[in-house]
Amino acid sequence: MQRLLNFFKSIKLALVIISLITISSVFGTLVPQQRPPAEYFARYGSLAQLLIRLKITNLYHSFWFIGLLFIFSLNIITCTLIRLMPKLRRILNPQFETEQKNLQLLKISKKIRKNWSVLKAKEELRGELRLRHYRVREREGEGKIFIIGRKRLLGAFGSDIVHLGLLIILAGGILSGLGGFRENLILYEQEVIPVPRADFKIRLEKFETEFYANGSVKDWKSTLTVLEKGAPQLNKVIEVNHPLSYKGLLFYQSSYGLDWESPSLELLISNNKSTEGPERISLEVGERVRLWGGEIEIKVTRFVPDFMIDENKQIRTRSLQPNNPAAFIEGWKDGQRIFSGWVFSRFPDFASLHQKNKDDLKIEITEIRARQFSVIQVARDPGTPLIWTGCAFLMMGLMLAFYWPIREIKAILEQEEKSTEIAVGALSSKNKEALEAELNKIFDSLRRRS
Amino acid sequence: MTFLAYILSCFFYFSFLFSKRETVGKIAYFFAAGGLILHTLALILRTIESGHAPFTNMYESLSFLAWSSILAYLIMEKKYKFRNVGPYFLLIVMAVMALASSPLMPKDHTPLVPALQSYWLWLHVSVTLLGEAFFALAFITSIMYLTTERREKKGKKLKSSLSSLKLDWISYRCIAVGFPLFTLGALVFGMVWAHKAWGSYWSWDPKETWSLITWFVFALYLHTRLLMGWRGRRSAWIAIIGFLTAMFTYFGVNYLISGLHSYA
Repeated sequence: MQRLLNFFKSIKLALVIISLITISSVFGTLVPQQRPPAEYFARYGSLAQLLIRLKITNLYHSFWFIGLLFIFSLNIITCTLIRLMPKLRRILNPQFETEQKNLQLLKISKKIRKNWSVLKAKEELRGELRLRHYRVREREGEGKIFIIGRKRLLGAFGSDIVHLGLLIILAGGILSGLGGFRENLILYEQEVIPVPRADFKIRLEKFETEFYANGSVKDWKSTLTVLEKGAPQLNKVIEVNHPLSYKGLLFYQSSYGLDWESPSLELLISNNKSTEGPERISLEVGERVRLWGGEIEIKVTRFVPDFMIDENKQIRTRSLQPNNPAAFIEGWKDGQRIFSGWVFSRFPDFASLHQKNKDDLKIEITEIRARQFSVIQVARDPGTPLIWTGCAFLMMGLMLAFYWPIREIKAILEQEEKSTEIAVGALSSKNKEALEAELNKIFDSLRRRS
Repeated sequence: MTFLAYILSCFFYFSFLFSKRETVGKIAYFFAAGGLILHTLALILRTIESGHAPFTNMYESLSFLAWSSILAYLIMEKKYKFRNVGPYFLLIVMAVMALASSPLMPKDHTPLVPALQSYWLWLHVSVTLLGEAFFALAFITSIMYLTTERREKKGKKLKSSLSSLKLDWISYRCIAVGFPLFTLGALVFGMVWAHKAWGSYWSWDPKETWSLITWFVFALYLHTRLLMGWRGRRSAWIAIIGFLTAMFTYFGVNYLISGLHSYA
């Protein structure tokens, strides 16, 4: 146990751990994280196996990195506690300095002799110290008085508060990792979907993309309604940087997209045999629409945004982008299929409708309207309150440590006949100059007093 | 214009270094201050013109880094009286300005992408770059420490009035200012903004990770210095490494590694 304690309290361990975390973090930024294994094999070849085995491909969530963070936390806790105890003792119960020669050994030391009794000298010095907000303690010895003046006591704990902040942040990280979740929801306008791990639903009322004059995207806005048991509770427009918060869940505007797999189409159909002019119809995939007063029914049975024929002679889409949109269109009359075939939007003349009399009908795709969807990230992160608390402690501790250092002045007053010698020593770990300047001012005003 | 003022300031700082005349040093100081005022006006104009914070692409953020470096330098010079650092530091600032003005950096202002439209842009970027400006100052004083110390060891006469002891101390003071600023700007404000914009306060994005690495390096500096009593050469080297890490976070990550932080 003692040995374990000695291990964790050592500052050298802290340095080693910080260096290890730093170095492994560097590796984590050089190797792309959390990609599919195939990508690693393509990139690193035979090295990939090793990288995956060592979890360098998912470094920040690997057991050994988290282990490092765990040892780091234990190290911070023991270091802080072990240094805190004597520090507390020193702050709560400061030791008077009784030997003049020890005072002179301190970084800052001064002496002055005044024609005062020791009691008068004490009053004067105490007054000066109190004027500058020092808290003064005193003790009397034989013919001597010992004084300690201190201020900015909290400054002594700056580093401890920084460490506390770090621990709170690490705890917040653990809580986020264990209790948090995030998921992307794909929503079309007017669609209602249940929110995962919650007892309410959301409806996307409206989704808009705003553009700048030069055509680049200015903002994405989703109008959301929160529904509980069918009843609307809340209505809010979310946009990038402005999430919605409801019952501990946050909804972010994460992304958007166009659904090119089932768009609505506008077709121009002309019949060479008929006297009637060309007809323009719009329909969804799967929908049947009657032509020319009901004689013929037309149906789009399949749509692919990027037409291709794969090695098995199957028709597929190469991508989800409308690079070569094609629709399979059927025509029905009296319960019989009279024609069918692929129609290409980019190549209107390429259409091949299998029909009795070639060239009777000509179908063109004149417009494809893909429905836009909004991608909304829903997240629960129970760690965030701890993170913000930890950050507050961290910053407070840093400010205390650097800009609010404790000031401690010790003095011995010794009367010899009618005069008293005031010997003062002071110690400051961080800002010696400022303390020295303050002490000079105290001595200047003591000198002026009679 | 601003650039010219800095060049003049740098020139006068160098003349001061060689002539050791107080008046030349003062002229240099005023040129730097004048340059800062011009630069401030330029930044304000750009903000009005573009309608957003003046640090949304590399050109703008470099220019802002130069601005905060001069600001940091003038504050520290006034406080600690070390004119000899001026010429070398102004050289760095000029290099930054030259890089910003080079044709490599597109200067036209582009409208803000949605993720950057937030007041956190102001807080996050300005405080971080100000912190990095102090790291830059610590970097220069650390290098000066190393050269001065070598000269002292050889018993040569010092060129400047700054002893290595004082340089070591100034370097520490710069980090004492820069470290809290960097912590606040880069890490704390960064986390708050990431939480608002990306839905997660920390995603181990390369830029995030590198700023954590920078933070760790300076944490090492402080711990070795305050607890283990490292001074002088070893401290100086850590400060130098720290600044280089900060610069890698600033430039390197953008050009070498892709991630969420793909704006600037």
